[in-house]
Amino acid sequence: MADPIQSVINNVKTWARINSPWAIHFNSGSCNGCDIEILATLTPRYDVERFGIKLQGSPRHADVLICTGPVSLQARDRLLRTYEQMPEPKFVIAVGSCAISGGVFQGCYNVVGDISEVIPVNVYVPGCPPRPEAIIFGVVQLLKSLQG
Amino acid sequence: METKHEPEKFIVSIGPQHPALKEPGHFEFTVNGEVVTNATARLGFVHRGMEKGCEGRNYVQDLYLMERVCGICSHVHALAFALGVEKLAGVQAPPRAQAIRSLVSELERIHSHLLWLGVAAHEGGFDTLFMFSWRDRETVMDLLELISGNRVNYSANVLGGVKIDINDSQRDALHKGMDFLEERTHHYMKIVTEDETFLGRTRNIGLMTKEQASLLGAVGPTARASGVEHDIRVDSPYAGYPDFPVKLITEPAGDLEARFVVRINELFESYRLVREIIDHLPEGELSVRVPRRIPEGETVSRVEAPRGELFYFMKSNGTDQPERVKVRTPSLCNWASVLTLAVGHKLADMPMILAGIDPCFSCNDRMVTVNRGGNAQDWSWEDLRKYGIAYYK
Amino acid sequence: MANKKKLQTPEEMLQAGKDVLQPWTLSESTPEVNRLDIAIKAADIKACVKALVDAKWGYLSAITALDWPEYASAEGSSEKTILPDQGNVEVLYHFCNGPAIITLRTKLPYAAAGIDSICDIIPSATLYEREAMELLGVDFIGTPSMERLLLPDDWLANVYPLRKAFTGLEKSNKVEEK
Repeated sequence: MADPIQSVINNVKTWARINSPWAIHFNSGSCNGCDIEILATLTPRYDVERFGIKLQGSPRHADVLICTGPVSLQARDRLLRTYEQMPEPKFVIAVGSCAISGGVFQGCYNVVGDISEVIPVNVYVPGCPPRPEAIIFGVVQLLKSLQG
Repeated sequence: METKHEPEKFIVSIGPQHPALKEPGHFEFTVNGEVVTNATARLGFVHRGMEKGCEGRNYVQDLYLMERVCGICSHVHALAFALGVEKLAGVQAPPRAQAIRSLVSELERIHSHLLWLGVAAHEGGFDTLFMFSWRDRETVMDLLELISGNRVNYSANVLGGVKIDINDSQRDALHKGMDFLEERTHHYMKIVTEDETFLGRTRNIGLMTKEQASLLGAVGPTARASGVEHDIRVDSPYAGYPDFPVKLITEPAGDLEARFVVRINELFESYRLVREIIDHLPEGELSVRVPRRIPEGETVSRVEAPRGELFYFMKSNGTDQPERVKVRTPSLCNWASVLTLAVGHKLADMPMILAGIDPCFSCNDRMVTVNRGGNAQDWSWEDLRKYGIAYYK
Repeated sequence: MANKKKLQTPEEMLQAGKDVLQPWTLSESTPEVNRLDIAIKAADIKACVKALVDAKWGYLSAITALDWPEYASAEGSSEKTILPDQGNVEVLYHFCNGPAIITLRTKLPYAAAGIDSICDIIPSATLYEREAMELLGVDFIGTPSMERLLLPDDWLANVYPLRKAFTGLEKSNKVEEK
C-alpha cells in the first residue's frame, strides 16, 4: 500500500513547490457520496491541503473546479455561471460516475448527465464514489499534465 | 404575514460542506433586525427524477438506483426497498441476512453521526472537533470497506437477503474498531456537555418542545431530542431488530445541546448493537430466491435512517418493473420543523440550528434567502457561518 | 402514551383508528396485518384528518399520489395507448401509530383533481402537498404555498412527470438551450 501512494505524494510535493492550485467544489445534484469523499481528502488521514491544494469558496480565485453529480436541470445554469466566473487558465475535474455519464441516473427526467455537455472537462475520476486516494490521483494527473 | 419594517433580502447559500456552495433553490427567511420572523423553503437542486426512474427499470436495477438516493444513508434506502419487494413477493430473508442488514445499518449510523458531528462542529467554528471526528470516522469507513469492499455505497443488500458475510477476522476487527470509537466518543461527549464555548452556541438555543415536534412532524434524533418517543427500530422492528432490540434514546431539553447528546448516545447504543450482533450472528443462508416478476400488490416499508423515519410506499403490477415507488425521506419532515423553529431566533443561530437537524447532504444543497430589507444580497455559506461565529465571540 | 402503545397489538390499534373513521368510511381493506386502507370521499378529507389528530391516533408520515391512467386498446393489437386527459389520480394519506398504518385513500379524475388542503390542521403537510401538485397534478385547495418544491421554476405547467403519460422524451420539458 505504501509505495504507489508514496510516489503519488512525491509527485504532488514536486508540483506544490512550483505552484499551489486553489480549487473550488461544485455539486451539480449528486447523492453526496462523491462529495463526502472529496471532503475526506481534507481530513487528517489524506490531508490534501499539505500539498498546497486549497479548497475554498469563490470561483473568482480558483484554478480548478472539482465537480460532482449528474447535472440536474436546476444546477446546469449555476454550473455554467460558476465556470464562467473563474479566471483563465482554468481546469475542470469531473468526479464520479454521474459526472461522466449520469451514472445510474442516466435517462432520468431532471438530469443532463455528462458534465462535459455543459462545460469542458480536463480530468475524469471514475467511481461510485471514487476513493479519496483516487480523487487525489486525479488532481495529480491534472497537475502533471500542466507541468509537461 | 405582515412584516413590520421594510424587509431586507439576504440570499445565503446553505451547504454543510467545507467549501461554500451556490445554487438555486432556497430557504427564505424574513428578518426583523437580528430576529427571524418568517421562513419558507424551496428545494429541488438534487431532484433527479428517481421515482420515475424506478418505473422504467426492473427491481434489481432499482435496488442499485435507490442505494444512490443518498450517499450517506445508502444502505437504509436499499434496505427499505428490498424489504418492500420481499413483502410483495411473499418471501422472508433468512435470519443471518437480517442480522447482517442490521449490522450494516448500525455501522452506517455510526459513520453518519460522526460525519454530522464534525460538520455541525465546523458550522460553529470548532474545526478541531471536525478534524478529530472525521479522522476517527475513518475507523468505521475502514470497517465498512473490510466487510463490503467499498467505503461508500456498500451494496450489502440483494433482493432476498445480503451478499456479504462476516468471518472471524472481520469480527475481531469490528470489535477493535468499536472499542476505539467508544473511547473516543466519551471524549466527544465531554466536549459537547462541558466546553463553555460550545455550550454558548448550543444550550437553550433552537428550542423545540415535544408538542411542537409532534405537530410539526419532526422525526429521528431531532424529534427524540425533544422527548418524542419515536424510533422505527423500537416501534416497528424490522430486519434483525426483533432479535437484537434497540434502546430508545431521548433527551427532554429540546435544544441544540440535546440534539448533540442524543446522537452521541445513539453512537454508544450502536457500538453495543454491533458487538451484540457479531457475537450472536445466527447460522444459515445469506439469501432466498425472489422471483423476477413480483405479484400485484402494495406495501409500506419503514426503516430508521440515521436522520429519522424513512418511508417507502411501493406498488407492484405483476411485471418485473414496479408500478410506483414513493420515497419520503426523513429530512423532508425535519425541514418543516426547522422552518417553524427558525422564527424568533437570531440570524447568527441559523447555521447551528440548520445543522442541528442533521439535514441529509443529498437533500440539503440549496440556497437560503434572508428577507431583511430592500436590497438582495448574495451571502455565501461561509459568510453566514463566520457571521455566527463572530456574533458569539 | 408509550405504555398504551406497548399494551396494544397492531390489530387493536387499527381497530381504534377504524372506529374513529367509521362515519366517513366508504370501504376498507387490510392488505397487510399492520395496515388498514380506508377509502373516503375527497370532500371528507379534513374531517377524517381532524378526527385522527383529535384522537391522537399516530402522525401523518407521508402523502402519496398514485397515477391511474386510462388506456385505449388499438384494434387487433395488444398495444395500449394512454389517453392523457382521462385518467385518475389517487391521493393516499399515510398515518402511522407505532407499527400500525392507516391509509386514507381517495381517487380524483384528472379534470377535477381538487381536494382540500389539510395544512390548517397539519402545517407540515405543505411540503407533501407541493410535491404531489407538481409531480402528479393534484390540486390542493387552499394550500398555503403553490411554489414548485422539486421541479425547476421553468418546468412547463401542466406537465406532470410522475403520470404514466410522461415519458421524459419530450424535449419541450427541458430547459431551453441558451
